[in-house]
Amino acid sequence: MTGLTAALDPALAAGVPLSVGEVVDLFTSPTEFASVFVEGLAKASLYLMIASGLTLIFGLMDVINFAHGAFTMYGAYIAGTAVLALGVGSMGLVGSVATFLLILVGVFVLLAVLGVVFEVALIRRLYEYPPIYMILLTFGVSITMEELMRMLVDYYNVNSGREAIDWSIPRDETIPESLDGTFNLLGVSIGGLHPFQILLGILTVAGIWYFLNETRYGLFVRAGVEDDEMARALGININRTFTVVFAIGSGLAGAAGVMLMWSPLWRVNVPLALGVLLPAFVIVIVGGLGSFKGTVVASLLVGMLDALATWAFRVEVVTFTDIDQLLIFAILVVMLILQPRGLFGVEGQGDHG
Amino acid sequence: MSTETASTEDTSGSGLLPAWVGQYLRDHTVHIAVVALFVLYPFAYDFLVGQFGLFAETLLLRPRTMLTVLWLGLFAMSFDFVSGYTGYLSFGHAAFFGIGAYFVVLGYNGQLPLLPAELPFMTLLVLGALVAVVAAVLVGLISFRLSGVYFAMITLGVSEILFVASKNLDFITPGGSDPADGVTPGTPSSVETFNPELGVPFVDALQVELGAFGDTSLLGLDLAPMFSETSPAIVVSYFAIGAVVLLCYLAMQRIIHSPFGRVMIAISENEERARAIGYNTFWFKMGAFAVSAFFGAIAGGLLVGYQGFINPQNSFFFLVTGFALVAAIIGGLKTLAGPLFGYLFLEWVEEFLAREGSGGGLQPFLEQNIPDSILDATISGGLTVSKAMDSFMTGHGEFYAGIIFVLFVLFVPIGLLGTLRLRLGTESVSKHVSRKIAARFGGDK
Amino acid sequence: MTLLELDDVHTYYGQSHILQGVDLSVEEGEVVALLGRNGVGKTTTFRSILQLTPPRQGSIQFKGEELVGKDTYEVADAGIGWIPEDRRMFSRLSVEENVRASVPGDASEAEALELAYETFPILGERADQRAGDLSGGQQQMLAIARGLVGGNDLLLVDEPSEGLAPKIVTDVGEALLAASESLPILLVEQKLGLALDLADRFYVMDHGTIVDSGKTSEVSVDDERLRRYLSA
Repeated sequence: MTGLTAALDPALAAGVPLSVGEVVDLFTSPTEFASVFVEGLAKASLYLMIASGLTLIFGLMDVINFAHGAFTMYGAYIAGTAVLALGVGSMGLVGSVATFLLILVGVFVLLAVLGVVFEVALIRRLYEYPPIYMILLTFGVSITMEELMRMLVDYYNVNSGREAIDWSIPRDETIPESLDGTFNLLGVSIGGLHPFQILLGILTVAGIWYFLNETRYGLFVRAGVEDDEMARALGININRTFTVVFAIGSGLAGAAGVMLMWSPLWRVNVPLALGVLLPAFVIVIVGGLGSFKGTVVASLLVGMLDALATWAFRVEVVTFTDIDQLLIFAILVVMLILQPRGLFGVEGQGDHG
Repeated sequence: MSTETASTEDTSGSGLLPAWVGQYLRDHTVHIAVVALFVLYPFAYDFLVGQFGLFAETLLLRPRTMLTVLWLGLFAMSFDFVSGYTGYLSFGHAAFFGIGAYFVVLGYNGQLPLLPAELPFMTLLVLGALVAVVAAVLVGLISFRLSGVYFAMITLGVSEILFVASKNLDFITPGGSDPADGVTPGTPSSVETFNPELGVPFVDALQVELGAFGDTSLLGLDLAPMFSETSPAIVVSYFAIGAVVLLCYLAMQRIIHSPFGRVMIAISENEERARAIGYNTFWFKMGAFAVSAFFGAIAGGLLVGYQGFINPQNSFFFLVTGFALVAAIIGGLKTLAGPLFGYLFLEWVEEFLAREGSGGGLQPFLEQNIPDSILDATISGGLTVSKAMDSFMTGHGEFYAGIIFVLFVLFVPIGLLGTLRLRLGTESVSKHVSRKIAARFGGDK
Repeated sequence: MTLLELDDVHTYYGQSHILQGVDLSVEEGEVVALLGRNGVGKTTTFRSILQLTPPRQGSIQFKGEELVGKDTYEVADAGIGWIPEDRRMFSRLSVEENVRASVPGDASEAEALELAYETFPILGERADQRAGDLSGGQQQMLAIARGLVGGNDLLLVDEPSEGLAPKIVTDVGEALLAASESLPILLVEQKLGLALDLADRFYVMDHGTIVDSGKTSEVSVDDERLRRYLSA
């Protein structure tokens, strides 16, 4: 047990005195704090893009979509191939970013279409089965999709699919220089991609909020979330609503993949699928199943803690490499102990099956 | 139980054998037949490969793969024990598999408190399983307040924490290598090489040394001369591990057919009602979880016993649970033995279509039997048919497994054994399965 | 012309045979009461018509069109409104949103809201409140309003007076009476007096079949003919 405690206590494991000074620095230095805060917002935005599709789909359809991460991974590969093929990066900052945004929209549409096919061809057959069968189906689809991508990257020698190492070329060769490193704003060091990611995160929240609250389909979705039988009896074609929501959710998953392609922490690889799926689950559960507001808050929470952990690792307060992952699952367990239905969870959702 | 006490209990017995023996044999005809098939398999494999060469190798599972089927099958059975029979999806079940595996390694290397290094394998196996029971109780205390998705997610969360820890805690690998790459029992220079003995403790004749370089004789019988195509050490390990798996299966089967098991099934069908009748369902669920953790850890320990190596990817990883789930569905959820057959089927598909492991499979057979002119034909941009076969038929078993799994979920949701039992009329469709499924399978009249 | 006609309808929940051959009809312009003790299959009859629990046998014709085999939303689109037993508000949606969600695709939301608030002014006052925060009587009004704005040609009304104070029951009764002038209604109601007041004809159900029927003018509240099947 001594070994375990030593390893869990970073200061002991690293054999250095606990750098309390570093922690104090963070809270006394506004610029250091601001930079961690901005990084936290950026991370939260990425998490939000991944998790919001999942939460929309779960809220309406009670479908825990295990293939969601695979959709993100496909989005990343498609975007990676596209930026290389189109030569993004040699177009100057404006051209590159504009093309990138076009690719983002394109991937959203492509993955939305894939989502429709998935929903109509497979998911729809199981609505009357116990909910566990939906988990099984989407899980099966996800392993099939992941392995298919491994076969493809193997066949085209993109990277070693079996070793599943990063496909870092799309980022290395196409990211505009000004988005690559960091820049200084009022003495605060900010990663070049961060404002971009935060902007898209805000757009995602605004877009989904608008869809849910200001459109007729959004009204149907919210009605269906509460009582799909009654919604049907009022003449709402809930199956079509399901399809639309599944399309949006899948499109968002793909768009998140496009963002991850340029992110130095993720890049393009097959394990990305599971790598994003699990934190996204945690966020959806911590926020409360079926609550979009909860997902936004939980994304912020996880993003901020992740940024803090990354910072702690960088200044060597902590020497545990995967501290962020450990933290994410610790949040899940602690949250479910304290507040079993998550932050904004609703009685009855997710209790069955 | 001795024959005497049993026969005095049985007054209706007639003939030479007491009636219960006949009844027992009748009840277990299927068990006996299946065990006989498993025992005969390595001999049949060796014979057929000797006779038909590559053709037989293409079609048959290698005995080495059968070994994997045994411990993964046991793990999947333990998963079914709690997830199938109580309806609580244990999505972090790999935690117990990993605890069993890592306990053997760390215990042997002398890195656990209170335990001296180099304890016998059997001791570590059982202690590891007991540690898993303790872990299950701890996890159960927090998670059985929840149900549905929440229960699944909290168990997943715990197993992921263990996964991350097993990849990062440096104390796991005393030699200083990366714990993410795995660890071998016997790493510290002060510890002897790992020679795991499986069998009845203190009875030398009933113990065998596991491993690819372990014993080649079983119960005093030297198997080496009987095998020309297979390593006899593998066959010996196969029998020894198979015996343990059989015992574990029979133990779980007893529990399910006991009053305790009936309450488990009642919980899966309608927990409210089970509680209303007066059962404290919390402790029944806890009991089921603990039992399943015990056997899940045994499975992990057996893996280390044979391989003498473990890494996080093959123990605590989420997909270890994922594939147990896949096997359980293909074999039949709530059938106990089904998951083992599910794994058998799955491994066969993977070996046949993706030649997982070393050799066998369809690809080498095609390579040898298709003319070179076709193999070298170009598909596009310098990529040949041969390269395509190499990419698509080697090492990507999960692709085919995934497709088959999806087909099962859609069209055979009660699995192979579930369907078989339904057809033979030995079991009705469980109420857990919805009306729609029941209607499709004719249980709903 | 016969608006709704059920012919030998058999419906199951799992293994249990709930409706065992129900025959009934509703004509244009009439209110029909469906009477019977709890658990004889009245609500199941509604669920069968709506295809929420599709019958396994028999036919249900609405305006000459077969409903069996259709989707529930198509039944609603054909013009059947449902005011269910426990009202089933979308409790997290506002009153206004509850009304808007009931408006058929081609109709005007503004007109629907106007109609709803004109019929029940209290709903207009509370338009922005969550439906879950309304009192039981107000929820019943909202449920009726949803049926009124749905462009329906027939309302299935299930236990409208259940759990309401006597004063509110009168209000609800009046609202239904007003609605029945333009809309035929098939009504399930435990309060026999209210049911007989509202309805032109009645059917009595027992054990999943229709056992008696007639004009409400032929019977009274304590008629032995009804008591046999209704008293507990």
